Formats: sequence, structure tokens, C-alpha cells
Amino acid sequence: MSSKISGHISPQPCPHLLDFRSHNGSKPFRALQDCIRIKPPGGRAAIRREPSEVPRCGTCEESSRPRLYACISCAAVFCHAPLLHFHASDHALSFPGHEIAVDVDRAELFCCACRDQVYDRDFDAAVVLAQTINATATTSTSGSAALQRNVAGSQPENLRKRHRVDYRPWEPDSGEHISIGNQSIPLHDSTNASLVSLTQVPWGLRGLNNLGNTCFMNSILQALLHTPPFRNYFLSDRHNRYYCQQKNSAINGTKNSRLCLACDMDAIFSAVFSGDRIPYSPAKFLYSWWQHAANLASYEQQDAHEFFISMLDGIHEKVKDKRKSRSPGSGDCCIAHRVFSGILRSDVMCMACGFTSTTYDPCVDISLDLEPNQGGSGKSSSAKSHNSCNVEVDCMGPNQNCGISTLKGCLERFTRAEKLGSDQKFFCQKCQVRQESLKQMSIRKLPLVSCFHVKRFEHSSIRKMSRKVDRYLQFPFSLDMTPYLSSSILRSRFGNRIFPFDGDEQDASNDLSTEFELFAVVTHTGKLDAGHYVTYLRLSNQWYKCDDAWITQVNESIVRAAQGYMMFYVQKVLYYKESENQAAS
Amino acid sequence: MVKHLHHVKASKRCRFIWRAFGIMKHSVNRPPTPDAAEDQGKEPTLQEIINIKLIESGEKERLMELLRERLIDCGWKDEMKALCRAYIKKKGRNNVTVDDLVHLITPKGRASVPDSIKAELLQRIRTFLMSAAP
Repeated sequence: MSSKISGHISPQPCPHLLDFRSHNGSKPFRALQDCIRIKPPGGRAAIRREPSEVPRCGTCEESSRPRLYACISCAAVFCHAPLLHFHASDHALSFPGHEIAVDVDRAELFCCACRDQVYDRDFDAAVVLAQTINATATTSTSGSAALQRNVAGSQPENLRKRHRVDYRPWEPDSGEHISIGNQSIPLHDSTNASLVSLTQVPWGLRGLNNLGNTCFMNSILQALLHTPPFRNYFLSDRHNRYYCQQKNSAINGTKNSRLCLACDMDAIFSAVFSGDRIPYSPAKFLYSWWQHAANLASYEQQDAHEFFISMLDGIHEKVKDKRKSRSPGSGDCCIAHRVFSGILRSDVMCMACGFTSTTYDPCVDISLDLEPNQGGSGKSSSAKSHNSCNVEVDCMGPNQNCGISTLKGCLERFTRAEKLGSDQKFFCQKCQVRQESLKQMSIRKLPLVSCFHVKRFEHSSIRKMSRKVDRYLQFPFSLDMTPYLSSSILRSRFGNRIFPFDGDEQDASNDLSTEFELFAVVTHTGKLDAGHYVTYLRLSNQWYKCDDAWITQVNESIVRAAQGYMMFYVQKVLYYKESENQAAS
Repeated sequence: MVKHLHHVKASKRCRFIWRAFGIMKHSVNRPPTPDAAEDQGKEPTLQEIINIKLIESGEKERLMELLRERLIDCGWKDEMKALCRAYIKKKGRNNVTVDDLVHLITPKGRASVPDSIKAELLQRIRTFLMSAAP
């Protein structure tokens, strides 16, 4: 009974609405655009009325009913109070063809015969148009081009559809077959296939030695080694360290090999996926990274998130292809951005006139605040009590006593409309003066891999102290990012409309789904200055704990109970749930 | 308090919609109640008078916006949303109407409005009525 428009359910019309449309087309709905008024600025849509006009029900003459509907065929107003008064339905019964009505206070369609809300694209288009005209500075109201511009905002160059090529499969010919055979070593020794036991550790699991408080680096490396698109890139030899060094020394002409974090990464991939289980020391990588981030070069404990950002930046520096387009957020520049780069949208709405200013910014991760302390209900639960808790409990507001913070709750808060303080007045282009504003974030483009960073370390320059927030955060193994997309946020701003928004426009990355799977969790235990990072990896649906040089298989309940600091989610379509049998094919 | 509100256009028809559809002659039907009977001589109740005064002055809308804001802030809206979601999940998306949901959440909703919000709104209405009295 409903169809999907890029992930959003679009309800099918009821027979009465279909009937109405076949007799009247979309004309009545377009005409309704003039009947819509927006109050307060940038707010809800309602049906216009004269200042002294008080709508009341034609049957019982009450004006104080919660819902009053105006019949679209004859403009008569009726009330609808479930179980008590059905005057709207009575009208529909008495006058066939008068089933469709509009809620005078909410500008939503209602079928009086079906006694339920119905949705129509043309009607919603009229409402959205009325609302966006109200919210933008342009005065042009005619033509679809103006509508596109109004609704879409300014469409940046880089977000238009990129040129695509057809996929061409490749098979090696006999000569290439021989060449491959000569140059490679088998990953699995097939003679031992029969001896493959259930406890066999999967490929790519190898401990990393701690070189002196380097667990921050080891934990991130472990996560990256198993980030599917990142891992595939390096294992497919897309960055060959020998070739890269050769090229660099040819360019530089000096013996001093240019430091390339991607080359060092390539070396680590080769070492970790070689099959050797003896813990590996990523010393060369550490040295290279010190060269890149000189201010962090010490044996002191560092922040894993800071390292993550620094490392992605380092790879970008050395690998970026100067010929390729530099459009931010497209991920064309380097593998680091190809995998992690998404685009955030920020809307700032002036509370005086409703004018909204929109900006797009690329991001490689999303940093989330843990909500402020819920107040002593004693429910700041210890992680242990949630071992078997698989139910998603959404925290329901500061007055509620559930006490459990969830990743979804954090994301909801991240995308919530927030009133900027009176000291942060935003300059409104329409009013030409600083006004109080409402800011709302949303995700314009999802990356291949979403990294969520939980702000557990608070640094206060005022109080000259830092502290760590230990509160448990519940995170799901599967995550649907639909509610946090710009298209969803915009949609909810306009109420229950099925009008397509610019977020629904086809972008190369929108073809991928919004469903994500968790594959790595970096956890932090201990104090701010004396703590330890550990990474949990999900391989073939088993969880493995990577604690520097020690890798152990663990139960998923351990992971659920852990104190998440950084959570890595990959697009479900890129996540291969491998079979239990690891033997080579 | 004004007892007779003859100046109020008791509108049983939405004027803007009526005007908008004037162009569609074939579908504009006679409204069920004749225009002549619109302005009645019936005495309005006190509740009605207050309601009309609130709407006329625009205070009702302001109060509605204030109430909306308060109910969102305290988590009431999220609570109701969760109730609706749970119900829809149980019954199936296509087997639920708006009426079902209203019937479901009305008792719980009314009961769970925080007293502080009720007090604030009552105070606002009281203030308004005192200022509106001649």
C-alpha cells in the first residue's frame, strides 16, 4: 500500500482521493497555495483566515474542537473528534465527492470517508512552496526553475552527477595466469584444508607491539587494517610502496626517500596479511607519523582520535592526485577521503524572518557529545548490567529516568534544531542585522565508512582542567542513518509531506543504502592521563579483542558492554559476512 | 466581559478556500447550511467567548506555540511518539488510522502533561483575560 522514494515511505492514495483527482486533477491543490499562511516565520503551515474569522463546525458550531477540517469541494468547515463527533464524516456521507478535506490548523489532507490522513504530491508541493517562499529572500515565485532554486538552495558544482563509466569485467589470459602464478605465494596451504579448525584465526589478525604508550596508534591501525574499502585498496596493490619510493626519488633526485604514510601503511598491510602471527612492530610507521605530526612526536600517550585525523591528513598530503578535482567531500583526492569523507549540511534560520542560510562542509568523522548528566536518579548504570540487553532504549528527555545513553540518542541530538545563544547572533541577509537564530545539522552525503567519535575527554581552559566522561554509551551493531540525512531533516521541518527534496536528488553516493554495519570499536579504559586503548574487531561475525600484541576471540556481550570511544560503521553493501569456512577457494 | 459578539464572523466556511475555488465552478457546491443562518442570535457560552477572544487577539496561537515548545523540551512529545511507534509496529503500518492513534495517546497524554506547564499556561490565560476585560 505504499511505495518508497529513496528510503522514505510514500503512502498510496485512498480510493476517494483517487476519485477526487480524476475529477479535479491537481488544480484545487495548486490553488490552495494561496490559502496557506506560515506562522511564525519559518514555522508551521496553516490555512489562512481573516483576522476576525473564527472557523467553527457547520453542524455543532463549536470552534474549540482540536481538529477542524475544511471540505475542499465546498469550503464548509466541520469538526472531527474521534468517538464523539463525526461531523466531517457525516458531510462526506451526505455529499458524495466531498470526502477530501484539509485540516485548517495544520494544512494536512484528510479523507472524511476513510477517517484517516491522506497524502498528495501536488498538495504537499503547494505547501512546501509556500513555506520555502516564506523562508528565502528571492521574490520570484513563478516557474519550476525558481522552485528548484528555492527548495534546493544553491547547488554546489561538486554535487552534480559525475560522469560514470560502465563496469567491464576482467579475466586474466593464459600469459597473465602464468605471471600471476610465478609472482605470488598461496595465502592458504591447501594441503591443510582438512585440518582447518573452528578456532582458526581469520586472515589479517596480527598483534601490534606497543612501542612505548603507542596503544593509541595500535588501536586505530587495527581498525583501519580491517576497514573494508581501505583494506581492499591496499591489498589490491593500489598503492605500491616500491613504485611510490622509486617515483619519489626520481622526482626528488635525492637519496632521502620521501616519507609517505601510505607506503608505510602498505608495508603494514603486507606484514599483517602475510599469515605470520608473531606480533609486528610498526616502528617505521610511527617514525613517519612523527615526521608528519611533529608536535605530537613523543612517547607520551596521545589521543587516538587526534591520531586518526592526523593520519588521514598525512595520507592525503602524500597521496593526493593533483590532477583530480579538488572538490571537497567528493573523496576524489585520496583513499583516506574516498573512504571516510562525507558532507555535513548546516542550516541557520533567522528567528525573526525565517530566512535560512545553508552551508555544506566535508567531514571525515562525526564527533558526538554525550548528553549532560541526567541528575541523580542513580541510574548511571554500570556496563555490566547491560550485557544481555539487546533492546534499543531511546533516552526520552531530561525528565525521564531511563538513564541510558545511546549512539542513536547522540545522533538525534546532533541533528536537532538548536537555538543559538543571544551572544551568538547570526547576521541575517534578509533583515540585514544580527538576529537570534536556530541552527540545525544534518548529513548531506554519507561516507563509505562512518566514524563516530564520542567526546569523552573534556578540556576546560577556564577551569584549567581536563576530565574524562566514563558514562556508558549503548551502540547498535546495525545502524540506519536515514533519520539523520538532510532529506529526512528537511522533510520533518515541513511536516508530513511527500514532496521530494533536493536531498533526494540522485548523487553517486545516494545509490548506496543508508544501512551500516559495525565492524570496529576503539575503547578507552582508565583515566585521562593514564589509560589504555583497545580495539574490538568484527570478522566473519566473530568479535576479536586487539590489545596491542594480544589478540583474543571474545563474546559479543563483552563488546556491547565496552566503553566505546570511536565506532566504525561501514555501508552494509560493502560489508561481507564471510562464511565460517576460511579455506581458500 | 463582552457578552454579545455580533462583530465576530461565525464562519462555517473557510473564506479563503471558498474564494480560491470560486474558479472551479463545476465543483463549487452549495454549502449545507445557508449563509443567512450563519450569524445566529444564540447566546455563546463563557468558554466560547474566551476561545473567540483568544483567537481574535492572536493569543491562542502564541499560547499554542509556547505549549508546543514546552512539551518538546520536557520530552512529552518524544514519549507520545514512542507510544505511537510501538502501537504501529504492533498493528502494522497499514492498519492504523489517525483516530486510532489519537484514541491511544489521549488519556496518557493528558495525564502526563507536567504540572509546571499547566500552571504556566493557566497563568498566561489569566493574565490575558484580565487585560482583555473592559
